[in-house]
Amino acid sequence: MSEQTPTDLQLEFQINGRNMKRRAKPHQRLLDFIRDDLALTGAKEGCGAGECGTCSVFVDGKLVKSCLMPVAKANGTKIETIEGLTGWGGDLTPVQKAFHKTGASQCGYCIPGMVMAATSALRENPKADIEEIKERLGGNICRCTGYTKIFEAVEMARDVLSGEASATVLEADGPGKSYIGNNVRRLDAPSKVSGRLRYAGDMVMPGMLHMQVLRSPHAHALIKSIDTSAAENLPGVACVITSDDVPGEDGFGVFVHDQPIMARGRVRYVGEAIAAVTADDVLTAAHAVSLIKVEYEPVAAVFDAEEAMQNGAPVVHDYAPDNIVKHIPIRKGDLEQGFAEADLVVEQTYETQAVEHAYLEPEAGIAYVDHDDVVTVVSPSQNITHHRHMLAKIIDRPINKVRFIMSPVGGGFGGKEDMIYQGMLALAAMKTGAPVRLVYTREESIISTAKRHPARITYKMGLKNDGRITAVSFRMICDGGAYGLSTEGVMRKAAILSCGPYNVPNLEIDVYGVYTHNTPSGAFRTFGAMQSQFATESHMDICAEKLGLDPFEIRRINMMHDGAVTHTQQTLGSVSMGRVLDAAEKACRWDTGPVGMRGQERSDLGGDDTRPPCTLGARFRKTGDDDRQEVA
Amino acid sequence: MLTCDQYHMPTSLADALALWQDAPEGTRLVAGATDILPWAREGRAGNVHLPAMIDLSRVPELDGYTVEDGRIRLGANVVYQQFLTDEKLRALLPCMPYCSIWFADDQIREQATLAGNIVNASPAADGTPPMLALNGELEIARLEDGDISHRTIAITDFIKGPGSTDLQPGEIVTAVICDTLEGYGGSFQKVGQRRSLVISSVCAVACVKLNEDDGTVADIRLALGGISPVPLRLTKTEQMLTGKRLTREMIVEAARQPADLVASRTRREYRRVVVRGFVEAAIEDALADCGAAVPNTDTRETANV
Amino acid sequence: MMERKVRGRGMAASWYGIARTATIDRAGAWAEIDDGGTGKIVTGVTEIGEGILTLLAQVAAEEMGVKPEDITIGDNDTARSPEAAHAGATRQTYMIGNSVALACRDARAKLDKELADHWDVDADTIEAFDGEIWSKDSNLKMSMEEAVDICKKRGVVPVGSGSFTAHGTGLDPVDGSGSPWQAYVFGTQVAEVEVDTVTGEVQVLGIWAAHDVGRAINPRGVEGQIEGGVVQGLGQALMEDYQLEDGHTKTHGFAKYILPTSLDIPEINTVIVEDRDPKSPLGAKGIGEPALVPTAPAIMNAIYDAVGVRITSLPATPEKVLAALEAKSAAGQLEAAE
Repeated sequence: MSEQTPTDLQLEFQINGRNMKRRAKPHQRLLDFIRDDLALTGAKEGCGAGECGTCSVFVDGKLVKSCLMPVAKANGTKIETIEGLTGWGGDLTPVQKAFHKTGASQCGYCIPGMVMAATSALRENPKADIEEIKERLGGNICRCTGYTKIFEAVEMARDVLSGEASATVLEADGPGKSYIGNNVRRLDAPSKVSGRLRYAGDMVMPGMLHMQVLRSPHAHALIKSIDTSAAENLPGVACVITSDDVPGEDGFGVFVHDQPIMARGRVRYVGEAIAAVTADDVLTAAHAVSLIKVEYEPVAAVFDAEEAMQNGAPVVHDYAPDNIVKHIPIRKGDLEQGFAEADLVVEQTYETQAVEHAYLEPEAGIAYVDHDDVVTVVSPSQNITHHRHMLAKIIDRPINKVRFIMSPVGGGFGGKEDMIYQGMLALAAMKTGAPVRLVYTREESIISTAKRHPARITYKMGLKNDGRITAVSFRMICDGGAYGLSTEGVMRKAAILSCGPYNVPNLEIDVYGVYTHNTPSGAFRTFGAMQSQFATESHMDICAEKLGLDPFEIRRINMMHDGAVTHTQQTLGSVSMGRVLDAAEKACRWDTGPVGMRGQERSDLGGDDTRPPCTLGARFRKTGDDDRQEVA
Repeated sequence: MLTCDQYHMPTSLADALALWQDAPEGTRLVAGATDILPWAREGRAGNVHLPAMIDLSRVPELDGYTVEDGRIRLGANVVYQQFLTDEKLRALLPCMPYCSIWFADDQIREQATLAGNIVNASPAADGTPPMLALNGELEIARLEDGDISHRTIAITDFIKGPGSTDLQPGEIVTAVICDTLEGYGGSFQKVGQRRSLVISSVCAVACVKLNEDDGTVADIRLALGGISPVPLRLTKTEQMLTGKRLTREMIVEAARQPADLVASRTRREYRRVVVRGFVEAAIEDALADCGAAVPNTDTRETANV
Repeated sequence: MMERKVRGRGMAASWYGIARTATIDRAGAWAEIDDGGTGKIVTGVTEIGEGILTLLAQVAAEEMGVKPEDITIGDNDTARSPEAAHAGATRQTYMIGNSVALACRDARAKLDKELADHWDVDADTIEAFDGEIWSKDSNLKMSMEEAVDICKKRGVVPVGSGSFTAHGTGLDPVDGSGSPWQAYVFGTQVAEVEVDTVTGEVQVLGIWAAHDVGRAINPRGVEGQIEGGVVQGLGQALMEDYQLEDGHTKTHGFAKYILPTSLDIPEINTVIVEDRDPKSPLGAKGIGEPALVPTAPAIMNAIYDAVGVRITSLPATPEKVLAALEAKSAAGQLEAAE
């Protein structure tokens, strides 16, 4: 950081129709300025690197990414933000109404930027077709909706604006005979499409301080000492906390509470929190973080789950010397007998990778101690019930003196189930007596929060020539990373569902969650089931090919029916497997035939229910398909 | 995070050059800022503090473009979006709309300059291969004894390696100058794991013009990016194809040569294979773009052979 | 010899369990039929974008007899709302939807009792919908606003509470036997892809997704969940990869960690199948996670159909696909030579 005092910028501009004259800091981006100085929080910082589009605003009529625009560039310009589309008290625009009608907003975090992109698309070309609309939305990421209803909304708005469709299409459907089975429009959509809904990172409180976190650069190291004195003495710093500040039982997690809220004695993964600074502003807090001196002694680390299971591998947690977080076994029938009966035995290994939740809202939260001495944390937590339990023990307060309020969640998918940062916020609020806010950067979120368990699966399946499965041996090893989080539950669900919705008379399933010094793996939509069933459904096709069976056929031969006994020996009631197979087969006009390289012979390809392959250039494509250049 | 003590927005080239000449060590020039802001973040440069930034976007001498004698002078402030929205530019530079539509997204195209992209000299820069194919030069200004003086340099000479250019202290790039190829067909290929916001690993650009009377190649321009530390103009391949009537075999043969030029450190085999198909596709798409017949593709060679 | 770009199709089946695994799950809710014929619901609901707030408003509206837009839902606050626990395990529709239904029925029971007395009819003749309440087979009818007013003037506030339980048992530690869920759902997806044999790029052009959701409270909401799940599945199948080297990530931001954009999205065709759950008041089950399970294998199976290479390690990047094509071609040449 510089010794010089930065020279403020003097700006004059018009924003949402209002003329303004303001000062700004030279380093501010337009995004920072409109959010922090003008309290217009509709534009978001989903990534800060120009990749996600949540920061999109109009400057002199052009849609730009405000996280990539130094605020000086806004001098003398006309700026329009999401708040300006309607004007205060104004009606939602047709684009916004269309988003409401089609169900185009889910978590809502990408929505202000998306509405701006849609608005820009139709301003630039009121006749844009679906290919051009997709192209013009190409700079905006949505993680929740799969974009489909967003496209529908933009096309609907286009048609209403051009007069091709009546504005009545934007209105709600009638009640019909029942509200069950009714496409009631989302209650929270208006607040999202207008940018008025505030998420934790948009919230401010009087006297609020800002937190920044020191994170480990090492995957595995002992912490010999932490010297926070220089940081604490920096003007503007209110406090620095480390694990020494934790008054109660320092451990959180889901099945095993093996994770301290800040590293205690050692760090176990790159990005683990070690200390947190609370200061007047983010810049000061960040500078103070750089002044914290930590003495590390790096020690041997293990980065592969199978290696971690070997004797002599570095131990991640003393309580688990074999590095196994959890082993889930399932046994049914007689495996050896089952394979002996098989006409065909097929073996294959599968691998799935670690995946990032990538919710558009990076983690954020505010904590404060209220007038009744209740330690309160406001954050987009997916499980405030559980978090309150854990925090009460960690800060040693009665449970009704701890309060968790869920702020609107800008996407979760399991990634906001863990109490990764709320403990630090609570401690800092307790230590300073002030509200404290922490907003993660995208990089901080990626590097330090949980991922989907990567998995390695060894599959062995025995079948009769008629396609019936006689036996399955399923072994799955998952890298659980440095802390337990939801690993036990993920392994359990993966195991229970592993062999798929099929009758398997003889089976042995073993699923292992293993500690390593990698980024912790945690809850992520499907909780292990997509990894295990990825293997099963790939395997079924491999077996089908060897037996000359159509893929629907082999599944029908083996599928569960009403009253089936599952792999865990539960008797089911009604089983709809046959119905969904039939429905999918019919809907896609499936061309029956054995698994194999049949693509070139199929008769069911290229229907109206598919899209054309994307060839960029919709907006300037020449007329007629023949002249159209296919840009790869 | 990027922080700085001063943010200058000079309103003349003379002011910009004076500021730049006297700038404290570490000062950076800023065009669209679309490279520098993502760069100053964790995982790349991390937190960066600059004494000053000099923003060129309000310098009028860098705006707009002029056309003369088969060459166009694109001011350094010309942004990528203009190659899509400006009909005259689309007509004069037939490969640039395809290059531009592959560049980032609409919002970033409104902000990112072609000149800035070239000066960055990333091996993955999309703008450089087309400029090579168009015999691109940079016009560079500096102060000499208080007066503005210019020099021009071919882009092939300007780019020395990844992130390394011939730009001297005190110099500012003021324009990109290149051929206009009105009436040519143009194309641009890029590999991506997805269709938008793609950082290319390999890209190929082609422009072609056929003789009206006999359909032979009057002129063909080919360039590749992402396969070596600097982008390449495929002069040998161009020479091989000029004056010929393009057959299927000729295109395939032409595509084989550049594969040997793949020098990139990472993912070498992949790029080598892709380059072959790309050069074929680039030529064919350029032919299609100018309305010429494309040789029979029934027996197109793929990676399978 | 092949065309440069070839298409293919693949399918995958799936199943999933509803609510928390191998344990007893529970959720509680409060309901009040309020002035103006509106409704108030308070429960520990965690809206993360899946649409649960709207669904609860529909359930409450249906059970109370008011309009969904007249339902107010309290904030999720450990100091203000009863426990309904987390958003996860595809449990909210099942656990919270049903507990809200029970709470509303409890509130309605109070209202119906007062109104029945006021009208001098049996309470079980009373029905309500969309802001009106009446006694079946009679002329007795009034607005919900009036009914609430009468109830309150009689000294009764129509409040209710409900708690819903889902019974799962733990698994035996040796053979894993047990009944982890009381409700299961099933699904099938089909994928149509185009593979570029020059670059190895794969585009997904169509997905057909048939899912049993028990009962679709809001069909458009179900579609939205399926569409979102499919695209996440597509991302994992083709482009997303959180990479570590000695514990350090190489994918710090979205420039390197590639997410699907609007240009990567297939046409998604959904079919909702309803196999009602017999163990719950509403009969609905769930869709949030099931939507994501079959997508990646359907895409891999489609790639096989198109070009005869099986990718067994995700993601199927262009490099992996091309390398697999090269390997297949080399093996073919070897065979031909032998």
